Amino acid sequence: MYSCKIFVVLLSLVFSAGCGDNLFPSGNDKRPSVLAGSSGGDVNQKAPDFSLPDINGSTVTLASSIAGKKGAVFYFTMWCPICDSHMSSIRSSVAPSFPDMNFFLVDYVSGSVAGASSAASANGYAGGVFTTLADTNHTLTNTFQGTMGTTVVIDSTGIIRMNEDYRDGTNLRSTLAALP
Amino acid sequence: MAALIMGAAPLFLPYSSLAASCCGGGSAASLSVPKYATAVADLFFDTELYDGYWNPNGKHVADPPGSDLKQYRLNAGVGYRFARDWQTSVSLPHVWNDNSYSGVSSQTSGLGDTTVSLMFEVLDDNSAWKVRDIGDMTPGVSLGLSLLVPTGISPYDNQQSSFDITGRGFYRLDGTLLVEKAIRPWSASLALGYGTYLERSINREYGKYVEPYKKDLGDRFTASLSTGYTFVLGTGGDSITATASYAYLNEADTSYNGKRDSGSGFDKQSLGGAISYTNNDNNWSMRAGWNHAIKQNGWGQNFPTTDVISLGVRYVFL
Repeated sequence: MYSCKIFVVLLSLVFSAGCGDNLFPSGNDKRPSVLAGSSGGDVNQKAPDFSLPDINGSTVTLASSIAGKKGAVFYFTMWCPICDSHMSSIRSSVAPSFPDMNFFLVDYVSGSVAGASSAASANGYAGGVFTTLADTNHTLTNTFQGTMGTTVVIDSTGIIRMNEDYRDGTNLRSTLAALP
Repeated sequence: MAALIMGAAPLFLPYSSLAASCCGGGSAASLSVPKYATAVADLFFDTELYDGYWNPNGKHVADPPGSDLKQYRLNAGVGYRFARDWQTSVSLPHVWNDNSYSGVSSQTSGLGDTTVSLMFEVLDDNSAWKVRDIGDMTPGVSLGLSLLVPTGISPYDNQQSSFDITGRGFYRLDGTLLVEKAIRPWSASLALGYGTYLERSINREYGKYVEPYKKDLGDRFTASLSTGYTFVLGTGGDSITATASYAYLNEADTSYNGKRDSGSGFDKQSLGGAISYTNNDNNWSMRAGWNHAIKQNGWGQNFPTTDVISLGVRYVFL
C-alpha cells in the first residue's frame, strides 16, 4: 500500500511539474504585431546592420550580404545532425532554385574564424553555395534570437521576411518565391 | 530470495532514444517489477557523452574542435504490481545539459519527459533452474503499453536556445513485447517496441511565436537483444550478473501539416554491457552499465553518437 501511495504521489508530481505548453499545446496565433519601420530581429522589421567575418577572410555586412541579390538566407548551425540534414536540404533542393539569393551559414559555436572554418570543412560545407560566417561575438545570434535550425531571410531592402526554424524547408521556399 | 527475484527480471529494459541536448531527450526507460514482488523503487544516474554524429548519408562526422557535450540524467522510478500479472510504473528524469564549444558554453537543467507504463505478463518463465522437458523452455513473455508524457523543456517552450532542451514536447504511445528466458546461469531477452507520437499544434519555437502549424514526429521502432551470465558468490546467495546487449532504434520521418519531411528520420545501433550485484541479505541491488554507439560509417543516420554510462540502485518491496 505504501508503494502504491508513492506511485500516486510521483504521478501527481509529474503532471503538476510539467503543466506547460507541451502538455496542452496551443494552436493560437500569438505573433506580436510589429511597428512599421522599426528595427529588430522580427519578421517585417528592418534588420539591424551587422559586420562579421566569414571563413574566407572577408567581412560581411548587412549591405554586402544582399548586394546585387534579391536577398540573403542565414541558417544558424552548431554542426549537429539536424543542422546537417537542413543544410544538406538547402544545398541540394533550395539553393539551386534561387540563384539570385546569397546563402550564409552562421556558426555561433566555434568562437573563431579558424574554428568555424575547420568545422565547415569537417562537415563538408566549406565553399560551394554557402558562405560560412563566424559569429564570434554572437551578433547575429542575439539579433535574430538564433539557435540550432533558425533560418532568417532578409530581402534586398533589408526587411526580414522569415525568422523561424527550418522545419522541412517549405516556408523557406515559399518565402523566397514571394520575394520581389 | 532477493537474488532469485531480481534474476527473474531483465537487468535493463532497452535504452529508449537517449538524449541529445541538440535533439531533446531525457526520457527514462520503464521499470519492471519482479514476479512475486509488490513494487520496486529505482534510482539511476546516466552520463551521456557526445562524440560526433552520423550525417544523413550515414557518415560519421566529428563534433567541432574544442567541443565537450554532455548530458546527465537522474532517473527516479517506481513500479507497482497491482495484480498477479499486471504492473504499472512511472519514471521521471531530471536532466542537466552541459555543452561547451570553443565559442559558447551552456549549463542548464530541468525535468525531462516522463514515462508511465502498464505491463501484462502473458507467460512466466518458471523453470530457470532446471530444464526437464521442452515445456520448461517456455520463456517469460510480457506485453507493455507506455505513454511518454512531455514534461520536459521542449523547443516549443519559452526557451531561447537548443541547449536548454530536456524533452521533445510530444506525447508518445508505445507498445512493447518482452521475451526473456533464463536457464541458469545463462539468460537472454528480446525486447521489441513500436511507438507513435501524437500530432500537436505549435505556435512558438525557441521563444519566438510563429504562424501556428501541426507537427508529428515519425513512428519509432526499437529492438534490443541481450544475453547475461550470473555468477553466484559463495553460498550466501549473493550474485553478480553480467549482460551484453545490442540495440537498434529507428524513427521515421517527421511530418509538418500532414506532409512528410523526407530524410528527417534517424536510426542508431549501439552495444551495451552491464553488471548487476544483488545481495541476498536484503532487497537492494546495484548496477553499472555502458551503452556505446558505434562511431563508424553506416551504423546510424541523422543522430548523435554517444556513450552512456549508468549507475543505479534498486529496492524491491516484497
